[in-house]
Amino acid sequence: MKVVIVGCGRVGSMLALDLDAAGHEVTIIDERVSAFNRLGDGYNGNMVVGTGIDESVLRRAGIEDADCFCAVTNGDNRNIMAAQVAKVVFEVPRVITRIYDPIREETYREFGMETICSTTIVSSMISTYFTTGSNKAHVEPPPAVVEAQR
Amino acid sequence: MSNGLNALERPYLVIIGGGKVGFYLARHLIERDYEVTLVEKDAARAEWIEHQMGSVSVMVGDGDEMAFLATTGIERAGVVIACTGDDEDNLVACQLAKGKFGVPRTIARVNNPVNVHAFTALGIDVPVSATELLMGLIESEIAGSDAVRGVAVKSSGANLVDVAMPEVARLVGRKLSEVGLPAGDLVVCIVRAGEPVLPSPDEVIQASDELIVYSRKLDIEGVREALTS
Repeated sequence: MKVVIVGCGRVGSMLALDLDAAGHEVTIIDERVSAFNRLGDGYNGNMVVGTGIDESVLRRAGIEDADCFCAVTNGDNRNIMAAQVAKVVFEVPRVITRIYDPIREETYREFGMETICSTTIVSSMISTYFTTGSNKAHVEPPPAVVEAQR
Repeated sequence: MSNGLNALERPYLVIIGGGKVGFYLARHLIERDYEVTLVEKDAARAEWIEHQMGSVSVMVGDGDEMAFLATTGIERAGVVIACTGDDEDNLVACQLAKGKFGVPRTIARVNNPVNVHAFTALGIDVPVSATELLMGLIESEIAGSDAVRGVAVKSSGANLVDVAMPEVARLVGRKLSEVGLPAGDLVVCIVRAGEPVLPSPDEVIQASDELIVYSRKLDIEGVREALTS
């Protein structure tokens, strides 16, 4: 699968390394070149410097024949805009948007977008850990990520 | 057709972003007797605006926060104008206004002109790019006698293009019917010595004429070249 990821922070870089290791064709976009340091030496995908809401930047990242698009910058509105450009302008088949604000996440899910709210997920996991004492939610980072960030 | 305003009532407008654009816009619209609420996230800036204008209702909060927007009475607004310095914030504010509060018409300032296309595709009724407008005006000043200006025609997405005929233009001395415009494009008016002339097919184009052209293509430069070179 061809995947375009916007935002090379902790989530974006981990996702890129994971999908790259799984054999997908990954292109990751970030405004800062230094953000790509998170990917380490083992990353085989592409990197594009620019803002993920700019159509020309997205074109350079190969969005026109992408199968999947993930917006995971640290700005909710930026993710929302980038994802909608991917979905509406470029008609990418799967578009996934990370949104911190639960209310906004619900709204844009109603508007027909595929959204993930890390705030509600983490909050409910901590709550479960607190009440049951078992940390079932704990997930080891993928080996490719451990390798890259060592 | 509808501009989102009911002429019988005093129109209510919500402006999001109290920077230079939002501030002067609010002041201008209040002078024209619109009811305006200005939303500004910075409390100190909001206080300054209130001090300057007195009569305006300034609310401190984020124009992309649903709960806050609900307190502005946004659902009765005829138009929401988002003019912060961040395009993504303007987009989301307008989409929430329309999608969640049923505001009939949204206008957004587009800071980066490349985003105009995306804003249109994503349902913003009127994306306004100050940079594009400025570029057009400045270009027409430096281009001199064959200056071109474009004005968007809302219902069709076409442009009204103003083309001044320089002496050397290949169309000078020819009939209007000989102008090879693309299908669907039309010369709608000739301005001669400051007066409008009805553009009949037999009208002969003169050297200092200005042609107002209705053009479907967004390529304003292309229209200019087709007519003058």
